[in-house]
Amino acid sequence: MAGDAIVAEELTYSYGQLLAVDHVSFRVAEGEILGFLGPNGAGKSTTVKMLTGQLRPRSGRATLLGIDVAREAEKVQARIGVCFELPNLYEQMSAAENLTLFARLFGVKSFNATDLLKRVGLGGREHDRVEGYSKGMKQRLMVARSLVNQPSILFLDEPTEGLDPTSSETIRNIILQERERGATVFLTTHDMMEADKLSDRVAFINQGHIVALDTPHNLKQQYGKRALKAQVATPDGGLESREIVLDRPETASDVRDLFGKERVITVHSEEASLEDIFIDITGRGLVG
Amino acid sequence: MSWQIVRALIAKDFRLFFRNRFFAFITVLALVTYIVIYFVMPRTVDETLELAVYAPVPPPILEQVGAQGLDLEFMESEEQLRDVVASGEYVAGVVFPPDLMDKLMSGEKGQLDVYFGTDTPDDVQDAIVVILEELAYLQTGQMLTVRVSAEMLGRDMVGAQIPLRDRLVPMLAVIILLMEMLGLASLISTEVTGGTVQALLVTPMTIRGLFAAKLTMGASLAFGQVVLFMAVTGGLNQQPLIIILALLLGAFMSTGIGFLVASGSKEMTTVMAWGFPALIILTVPAFGVLAPGTVSGWVKAVPSYYLVDAVHQAANFNAGWSDVWDNLLMLLGFDVLFVWLGIVVLGRKLR
Repeated sequence: MAGDAIVAEELTYSYGQLLAVDHVSFRVAEGEILGFLGPNGAGKSTTVKMLTGQLRPRSGRATLLGIDVAREAEKVQARIGVCFELPNLYEQMSAAENLTLFARLFGVKSFNATDLLKRVGLGGREHDRVEGYSKGMKQRLMVARSLVNQPSILFLDEPTEGLDPTSSETIRNIILQERERGATVFLTTHDMMEADKLSDRVAFINQGHIVALDTPHNLKQQYGKRALKAQVATPDGGLESREIVLDRPETASDVRDLFGKERVITVHSEEASLEDIFIDITGRGLVG
Repeated sequence: MSWQIVRALIAKDFRLFFRNRFFAFITVLALVTYIVIYFVMPRTVDETLELAVYAPVPPPILEQVGAQGLDLEFMESEEQLRDVVASGEYVAGVVFPPDLMDKLMSGEKGQLDVYFGTDTPDDVQDAIVVILEELAYLQTGQMLTVRVSAEMLGRDMVGAQIPLRDRLVPMLAVIILLMEMLGLASLISTEVTGGTVQALLVTPMTIRGLFAAKLTMGASLAFGQVVLFMAVTGGLNQQPLIIILALLLGAFMSTGIGFLVASGSKEMTTVMAWGFPALIILTVPAFGVLAPGTVSGWVKAVPSYYLVDAVHQAANFNAGWSDVWDNLLMLLGFDVLFVWLGIVVLGRKLR
């Protein structure tokens, strides 16, 4: 059985009077993809900063691969890769120069920028200055940069936000390949579909607290509202929607009534999304 | 702190600095301009002073006045004399009363009225007064009463005036160092705003390593340019070790100030907003070298004074270690202060 790659114990951080992260605890197993979801200002970035050694917790402790982050940040940072939400590349350097610089910082002995750039779909553009890259190309280069040291843990912050479908697919494939390699992935995202598709488990954070942490399937089982959605014809030739919530005592009679009394045009079942579950739990949406 | 990491960062910073077309252009242009400014300035000083004279009965001492480096131009009236001096056409005007020689020969005290323009430097006023007094004494054995009182300031440079271009050297050296301070501040603030520093700080690179790289890069860039400038302009012909040490200390000081400017800046505009007042203040001591007597004692509170004074004394007066050690010590103190303060303030921003 795999051990824990990330252990957060009672992590707390405040900016002045504002408590951003409040006694947060969780574990992420080696080789697991954890989707970390929450609206802006929920404490996602602060948590990631504490886990990656950018911020020292006011209280609590984080260990990555068994190493205390606050005490031995350099050791931890040598074994992680971080991909930021906004492009923070050296724009006046080429893609290859950007990657080579970071390979040197990580002390990677034999590094081949071309191979890595090919892997993220930037083969042939390695000597172009980054300032001429599109947003999607920059994002793919950011992902490549986070992989130069073959990290044991990969932190990805909104890696596919605002990208075209091809770029998004490339990045999703890389995430899955990294898991195959044995890396642990800590994926911060607003994209519920992406989190659902990629994550082994998801954690919801709201107002500095982890409010739910489980597999997407279990969360849907636990919090989801299953329903039947139908479109029926009205006497004047129009259409109306009907929704029948499943798993209630009156569900059977509602279904009978629908098909007996109305002219049903379409019908389909509906499963709760992670977004619905988040709203159910917190009373607020994920965006904003 | 790994030196391999520091070396990688320094190489990156130099690459970025020279790929920034603005800074690369400004750096080369400024250096060439300063060198050209130096060489187009006259390398000798014309020590002949032009005097306006009103003498209804020209006394014999006037014949000797010309030999003392004073070029005389006779006016038709005292009023005309006052006008030409007031307009700045002549540095001074001397009125010789018609009965001057009679009084002196009979043993009485004579009196001269000397008028100076408002912009006539104090040392020039003193020189003229002294020459007139000495000439009168030599010829008559009597002291003249000259109706001007002035106090001799600074060194007596009669016969050993420093050419303007050599006086300019400390100012240009300070400007070169401070221009690099602006370049470094801009480079750092761009990295902070662009988030690239954040990316560096999640690698095994420590914040100490980052500052070691920036300090080395900033100081060597400034130092390299200013030494090149001094070498080309002949500023290292006298006391080169003292001057090189002073410039090195100056380069570290400007780097520390660059850290402070960067900590309060987000991009080029704010770098200029913070940097230019600093640049102007730090250039003030150099005006004291350029035009002696134009700055007062408070200039010693400006840290660059000790750099300017050390370079000026060594380059222009061949001053030795015993003459400038106190300047170098003060400069070292300001280095420690500014670098420490810069690291603390900028470090807080980076964290």
